[in-house]
Amino acid sequence: MTTVRGNVRQGFDWQRALKRHGWTAGAWLLLIALIVFYATLIPRFGAFQIASIAKNSMPLIFVSIAQAIIVIAGGIDLGVGALLIFSNAMAARMMDGQSLGMSLVIAALVIVACAALNGLVGWIITVSRVPDIVVTLATLFIISGFALIILPSPGGGTNEGFRAIFTGSTTGTGTNFWPSLAAMAIPMGLAAYFMRRTRVGLSLYATGSNPMAAYLSAVDTARAKIVSYAIGGGFAALAGLAALAITGSGESRFATASNFTLRSVAAIVLGGVALTGGIGSVVGAAAAGIVLFTLSPLLSAMGVDPNTAQVIQGVLIVLVMMVAGIIHLRRERAG
Amino acid sequence: MVALRSVDLSVKPGEIHALLGANGAGKSTLVKILSGVYRPNAGTIRVNGSDVTLGNPASARNAGLATVFQDPALVPDLTVGENLRLTGADEEGVARWLDHMSLGDVDFDALVGDLPLPMLRLLDLARALSWRPSLLMLDEITAALTADQAEQVFSVMEEWRDEGRSVLFITHRLGEVMRICDRATVLRDGVNVAEVAPSDVGESGLVEAMLGEVVKSVPTVSSDLTAISAAPVVFSTSDLRSGNQVNGVSLDLHAGEVLGIAALEGQGQDRLFALLSGDRRPDSGQISVNGEPMVARSPFDAVRKGVVLVPSDRLQALLPQRPIRENLAAPLYNRVSRWFGLVADEKERVQSAVTRLSIDTRAAKQVNRLSGGNQQKVVVGRWLATGFRVLLCFDPTRGIDVGTKQQIYELLRELADDGAAILLYTSELAEIPLVCDRVLVLYGGEIVAEQEAAKATEESLLTAAHGIGEEEVA
Repeated sequence: MTTVRGNVRQGFDWQRALKRHGWTAGAWLLLIALIVFYATLIPRFGAFQIASIAKNSMPLIFVSIAQAIIVIAGGIDLGVGALLIFSNAMAARMMDGQSLGMSLVIAALVIVACAALNGLVGWIITVSRVPDIVVTLATLFIISGFALIILPSPGGGTNEGFRAIFTGSTTGTGTNFWPSLAAMAIPMGLAAYFMRRTRVGLSLYATGSNPMAAYLSAVDTARAKIVSYAIGGGFAALAGLAALAITGSGESRFATASNFTLRSVAAIVLGGVALTGGIGSVVGAAAAGIVLFTLSPLLSAMGVDPNTAQVIQGVLIVLVMMVAGIIHLRRERAG
Repeated sequence: MVALRSVDLSVKPGEIHALLGANGAGKSTLVKILSGVYRPNAGTIRVNGSDVTLGNPASARNAGLATVFQDPALVPDLTVGENLRLTGADEEGVARWLDHMSLGDVDFDALVGDLPLPMLRLLDLARALSWRPSLLMLDEITAALTADQAEQVFSVMEEWRDEGRSVLFITHRLGEVMRICDRATVLRDGVNVAEVAPSDVGESGLVEAMLGEVVKSVPTVSSDLTAISAAPVVFSTSDLRSGNQVNGVSLDLHAGEVLGIAALEGQGQDRLFALLSGDRRPDSGQISVNGEPMVARSPFDAVRKGVVLVPSDRLQALLPQRPIRENLAAPLYNRVSRWFGLVADEKERVQSAVTRLSIDTRAAKQVNRLSGGNQQKVVVGRWLATGFRVLLCFDPTRGIDVGTKQQIYELLRELADDGAAILLYTSELAEIPLVCDRVLVLYGGEIVAEQEAAKATEESLLTAAHGIGEEEVA
């Protein structure tokens, strides 16, 4: 924290921290509560379950971070799910039978390609001034189409070592959860640092918060938008790579793309990112992504019918938003 | 639409130069061109003798031109410190300038959205100064500032001038121009019509140049206070309280009266008007309309009782992308008959409001194309078309030019003479004697003084507004 002068309040301001980071903290507390509850439901809860949740929620976490970055900068990207299957298809095709070193090079190339592609989408939005939701609805179809062309039927493969990086085991199943936790935490930490501590990251918040004020204070708002889409594209690609590492082969399905897109929007809303831009954090969105993922094993452990589980997911989102709304209203009344 | 036709403006080093003009004269457009927001169709801009091309705000800043805009260019969801880092400003330099303006206690970790507007203006100013530009452009910087804050800004401007740097100062307050500006350029209809030294021509000379005709000075109101106090009380509050901002306000507003509220910034006037207009519910106390208690859950309830608000922010009250007609008729749409068709007399009501206010209807399709003064007329006109008992005006002339201001005050007087009850808060104390019958001074959420408006002076009000005046009951 930068304190420029001496007469700033000394010590840690709990109230302010709660007001500013309350939602993010709440999302993580909700996650912990759900996992503890899950642990009491099943006969044996141990390393296997932790590893399973950690690795399987990864694609949704990365897609949620991608969506969070883009929405914070004032956009919205319906194409993130398509980028996920696109990256998954490309990587599955190219990595099949390759060495670990080659696989990592391919992974880097796929991430860069998806970032460039989505940066182009951001550029089209800024130049054409067509609303984000329209352009990215189109790219959802276009990029999904490319993915299907690259990999028309499930197939391809990857290197065992590459699988171990994300899942902790060469077969994708096991009890070693540390690699998965690291693979989830490191990109999240980097994204959080970038967003809040670098000038470019702050310019994304600024552009989403008040584009006119940002522009007048000499922020390049067009560049900010393009950067947000490019980094979002990179994270969506990472999600596709994680999915490949988990299953060991690629699969392009439009249903997967649209499903991930919608769940990424649900996750960021649940994680405290305002759809109007400028507010929220990638860390909160990531927590909400794991929450959304954890709900399905949890509800099935409770013996809830999968169709009902969908309803419960939706109700949870509405409930959280209502509670947040009430807290906001009370705070305003008190202020 | 052509906003600027041809402007020649030159500012010398070590000079405070005023840019004057009525609403729509092109001042804001000129400032936006000089700060790189708009590109001119033709013409050259020279800074320290060399031609510059300004493609965006960053290039203007690099060329030595820094601007403090009417709406502070600060991002609400970032902290003060983050805003400075975002723009690469020198935090130490900004802190020094803030200290200079007695704002040394600004918390750099506070969210900008939580800070009051005057603070943001000064923060924006400190940031602009920290870039050490050759020319500092201040667009209506004093509009939301209290008298003492404005003093701080003036002393900074003078110091800036003494360093041999220049200021372009845009304001509607001619008193400030007379006080601090060395020269003035006057714009009218997008052309510069005069360049004068304010001290040579005087305030009346400046107004003449701006309007292009001689305007009679507004006489102070000669009100018959005995007649007014005999008139029935239309609107009253008793011991109104809300949080720590409004601490027991009781007032009586008679029919045919314009009651002024004078206060420094942040004395609870915002909250008081929110309570009166039904936007918030008071913690305790009562609001009465015609002797009946008003319990408003929302402004809708207050409007139904005939209590209507004209806020200082026009865009808060208007539907910016809709035509004038719809803006004027908006409250009429609540009537059931409107759901199936037009309110029978909608057209006449709207037309009579347009005529009465002489609203410039050239940009009738979208009110956001109107100038600030005309927008404010539309807000007042809306209530004329709807009908009301009590008009609450919250700083209705903020950022509006002299001519339009005068029209608005004349209108308020006319409405009062027709029997309306008007409560008026204005941040410009000098205007109170021009329009009010009585004036109440608010300090720390309490009414600390009541004065007869015709006898009130800027000085007497200012003294009372600082909470140090002795009570003088008219």
